[in-house]
Amino acid sequence: MKIDPKTFVHDYQLNICIQCGTCTGGCPVKFRSPLNMRRLVRETYLTDNFSSLSKRAELWACTTCSTCSLRCPSGVKNVELIMGIRNFLANKGEIPSTIRDALENTLLQGNPWGRFRDRRADWAKDLGVKIFGEETSETLLYVGCAPSYDPRVQSVSTALVRIFQKAGVDFAILGKKESCCGNEIRRMGEQALFKKLAKDNTALFKKSGVKRIITLSPHCFNAFKNEYPDLNIPVQHYTQVLADLIGGGKLHLSKGLGISATYHDPCFLGKQNKVFDEPRKILASLPGCDFIEMERSRERSLCCEGGGGRMWAEGGTEGKRNGEIRIREAVALGAKTLATACPFCLLTFEDSVKTSGLAEQIVIKDIAELVVETMG
Amino acid sequence: MNIIVCVKRIPKTAEADILIEKDGKDIKRDHLVFALNDWDGYAVREAVLLKEKFEGEVTVITIGPEESKEVLTRCLAMGADRAVRIEGPSSSDGHLIARILAQAIKGQSFDLILTGVQAEDDGWGQVGVALAQILGLPHASIVTHIEIERDKAKVRRELEGGIEELLEVKLPAVLTIQTGINEPKYVSLSAILDAEDKETKEVGMEEIGFSSKGPLDATIDQVSFPPTGKMAEILKGSPEEVVGQLTEIIKKKKG
Repeated sequence: MKIDPKTFVHDYQLNICIQCGTCTGGCPVKFRSPLNMRRLVRETYLTDNFSSLSKRAELWACTTCSTCSLRCPSGVKNVELIMGIRNFLANKGEIPSTIRDALENTLLQGNPWGRFRDRRADWAKDLGVKIFGEETSETLLYVGCAPSYDPRVQSVSTALVRIFQKAGVDFAILGKKESCCGNEIRRMGEQALFKKLAKDNTALFKKSGVKRIITLSPHCFNAFKNEYPDLNIPVQHYTQVLADLIGGGKLHLSKGLGISATYHDPCFLGKQNKVFDEPRKILASLPGCDFIEMERSRERSLCCEGGGGRMWAEGGTEGKRNGEIRIREAVALGAKTLATACPFCLLTFEDSVKTSGLAEQIVIKDIAELVVETMG
Repeated sequence: MNIIVCVKRIPKTAEADILIEKDGKDIKRDHLVFALNDWDGYAVREAVLLKEKFEGEVTVITIGPEESKEVLTRCLAMGADRAVRIEGPSSSDGHLIARILAQAIKGQSFDLILTGVQAEDDGWGQVGVALAQILGLPHASIVTHIEIERDKAKVRRELEGGIEELLEVKLPAVLTIQTGINEPKYVSLSAILDAEDKETKEVGMEEIGFSSKGPLDATIDQVSFPPTGKMAEILKGSPEEVVGQLTEIIKKKKG
C-alpha cells in the first residue's frame, strides 16, 4: 500500500522532462486553478516531502484530458502522474469528501452517483430492448452510468436504441447487471477498485457471450479499449457504428433539421482515441444540417472539464468555466446547435448554456439525438 | 485508551424499491445492498481518532449472521484493531441486543463504549442507552464532540432547536455518536482487501454465557406502508413538465 515517490520518477518518466512547458501551455485548467504541470513534474522529481506536495487541492482540478501527455515531446506520463498521486491519496483515505462518496457509491451500487442498482435499466423498460440473461445477442450495447440514470442523458440512450432498432442492428444490454466501467474511478485514484471492476465486467461480458461492444460514452470506450487487460473483445464508440450504418445505406434519414450545427470533440473520443471523422461524417449526412467547424477542433478541442472525476469534484477551480467559453465560441460562429458525443460533455454544456444566459441562442444535442430527429 | 464500538450491518433503502414479505413481518431484502450503519461509521472513525491521540485498542462488535463480517472488515480497514462477531438472533428488540452486547463486553477492560445514535433500518435509538443501564455505566446520547481529560470525557450533545448541551461524563462510559462528529476518511478497496486477512473472532451466544431464556420485549407483528397523506402532492411527468408544474404552484403560493 505504501508508495515510494521515487518510483514515480521511474514509472512516469519524470527524469526525461526537459521543462519546455508545453504541458502547462496546453492545459485547459491552467487559467482556472493553480495547477502547473511543468512545475509539478519538476517538484515531484526533486521533492523530499512528497506528503506535503500531495496535499495540494489543485491536484483535483486536472480533468485527465491528456493534452499535456499527448503533446509532451519527451514522453513524460503527466496524467499518469496525477493519477498516481491520487492513488497515493486514495490509499491513505485522504481525498475530497465528494470524491470519497463517488468511490464508495461505485463499490456499493455500481455507479458513482449511488443510484439504486436495480433501477439501472428502468430507462429501457418500454423500449423492447433485449437483456442478456433473458435473451442473447453477440453485440453488447454498454450503456454506462450517466446514460442509465441521468434524465438528460437517458434521452441519448433512448435515441440510440431507436436508431439501432430501425437499422435492424441485433444487440442486447446487460440491464441491472451492468456496472460502472471504472474509467473515472481509475482517474480519481482508485486503482484497486478499477481492477476489480475490470475483472468483474470482463467475466460478465464473456459469460454473456459478448463478441462486440458498443459504448455510448467515450469514457467507457477508452476503458474497454485501452485499459482492460484481458478483454480481447472489439469495442466501438456508437458514432463509429452510426457512421458505418449511414455509409452502408442502412439508415434512411429523411426529415430535414433546418439547423446550423458545430461539433465539440470529446477528449476521450477525439484526442485520446483519434475518432475524429465518424462524428463529422454523421453530421454531414444529416438532411438540413449545415455543419460549421470550430477553430479549436479535433486534437485542439477545448476540454469541457467533465472528465477525470471532475463530475464529482467540488470547487478547486475559479473563473469562467471552459463549458461557457466553448458555448460562446459556438455562438460566435453562428451555430444554433452545439453537438457532441459524450454524456459528460453534454451535461457540462447543458449547465454552461444556462449559466452563460445563452439558452435562447443555442441548444446542446448529442449526435444520436440529432440522428433520431431526422428519422421522422 | 481502549474503546469498544458496537456496529450493525443494515440494508440501504433510501433509493430502493421497498417491498413487504408475504408474512407481512419484514421488508424484502434479497434485492438490497447492505453496508455499515452510517452512524456507526462515524463512531468507528471517532474511536480511531481517539486511539491516534491516546493510544490503546479499538474493538468492534456486531451481532448478526455470517454476512455481518463484511462490516467488521470495513471497520478493521478503518483502523480498528480487533473484531468480534456474535452469532445471534436477527432481532429489532433494542433491549435484547443491548443485553447480548452487555454479556459479551462484561469483564473486558475498556475506557469507552461507542455506538451510533441509531440504526438506519429500524431507528429505535435504544441500544447505546440500554447498554449503559445494564452495565451500570454513565452515558451521553447524540454526541457531537468528545474531549478526554484524564478519567473524564467532556462531551457536547445535540439537542432540539440548535441547542447544544455540554456534559462531563466519568469514564468508563457509553456515548452514542451523532453523524457529523468527524469527517469519515475514504476506505480504499485495497485497505478492505488487506483487512480481510485480519482475524475476526466469532462467538456463539452460549460461549459468551448468554441465556436466551429472557423474554423478548418486542417482536415485529406487521410492517406496512404509511397511509398517503393529504398535504403531499407528487408531480408526475418529464423533468421539464414537473418544473413547469412546480413553477406554477410556487407562483400561486406567492400570490
